[in-house]
Amino acid sequence: MTMDRRSVLGLGGMLAAGVLLAPGLRLVAAPEEATEASDKRRWAMLIDTNQCDPSCTSCMKACRVENNVPLFGDPKRDIHWIRKVELRPKDGKGPDRSLPMLCNHCENPPCVHVCPTQASFIRKDGLVLIDMHRCIGCRYCMIACPYKARSLVYNEPPESASHNRKVPRRAMGVVEKCTFCVHRLDEGGQPACVEACSNEGKGGMLFGDVNDPNSAISQKLHQVLSTTIRPDLGLKPRVHYQGI
Amino acid sequence: MDYFPTLATRVSLALLLVLFLGAIGVYPSTAGADPPQLEKPKGERCIRDTNWMRHNHMDLLKHNRSLTVREGKRIRSESLLQCAGCHPNRDRFCDRCHGYVAVAPDCFECHIYPE
Repeated sequence: MTMDRRSVLGLGGMLAAGVLLAPGLRLVAAPEEATEASDKRRWAMLIDTNQCDPSCTSCMKACRVENNVPLFGDPKRDIHWIRKVELRPKDGKGPDRSLPMLCNHCENPPCVHVCPTQASFIRKDGLVLIDMHRCIGCRYCMIACPYKARSLVYNEPPESASHNRKVPRRAMGVVEKCTFCVHRLDEGGQPACVEACSNEGKGGMLFGDVNDPNSAISQKLHQVLSTTIRPDLGLKPRVHYQGI
Repeated sequence: MDYFPTLATRVSLALLLVLFLGAIGVYPSTAGADPPQLEKPKGERCIRDTNWMRHNHMDLLKHNRSLTVREGKRIRSESLLQCAGCHPNRDRFCDRCHGYVAVAPDCFECHIYPE
């Protein structure tokens, strides 16, 4: 069987179209198989203290459930990834403020600098994380952190039926802290506290990529007056506060 | 000067070799320590060759663990959570063999094996 010029050209065209379209089609069809932290991103948070109700603890509750953070019932030993802090002006002028405190994921994190095993590290996208497989529980980082963001697991975490399987528990003798819900970020989500604040609270927490000039947080950081906690330390924290 | 072993040395060396090989063949594994029967997997095939996995799964897990924690590389099909898709029971798969070979990996002190 012979083919005329027209059908050969047609076949070639179909083949070219297939080659061009096939990768695109596969990208759309399959769920993302592999993800990786990008050094082009810088995650940050902006907390509007005017929206923060002193009686609301939805961010703390959501964090505990999401990250399997246990409560031991002993205030000295309890682990907090996010706490509510009362701020009172020194001169007595102005109203008291209640605000959530969490790991600030500093650009110059003192906890990482003092870590003797390189368990604490800065990920490519600026997150300050702990590799629990390397942590020896020496607590240098807890002393170095000016925000009291880190806790040591003093006791064996209690067995509980309702664990979030996406987040491992932590064994006794390691230091743990907020991860900005890194497992959610890698899937394109938002931290659990931010989600809870917009669902149950007044939506005072804004989270996003400050390297992207079009993101909501970048634009709001340019519009409003915001500050960080202890900017004088030069750590360049990535949790910004509005209204204090 | 070249070294020529004497006949006696050569004979004794050969005898030693025969004894050594014999010893390996003569003493098989002790009775009652047959390899454990692991639960048959559910899926069609593993993410790697079965024989390869038998010897190297710990390297794969450890390698991926460091990449995931430190680089944020998450490969969905190679996640520890995905193992349970084919091996739903940790006691009858992971732990049975680990118990037999007397190793105690502490993965599941923290990681929660899906059921």
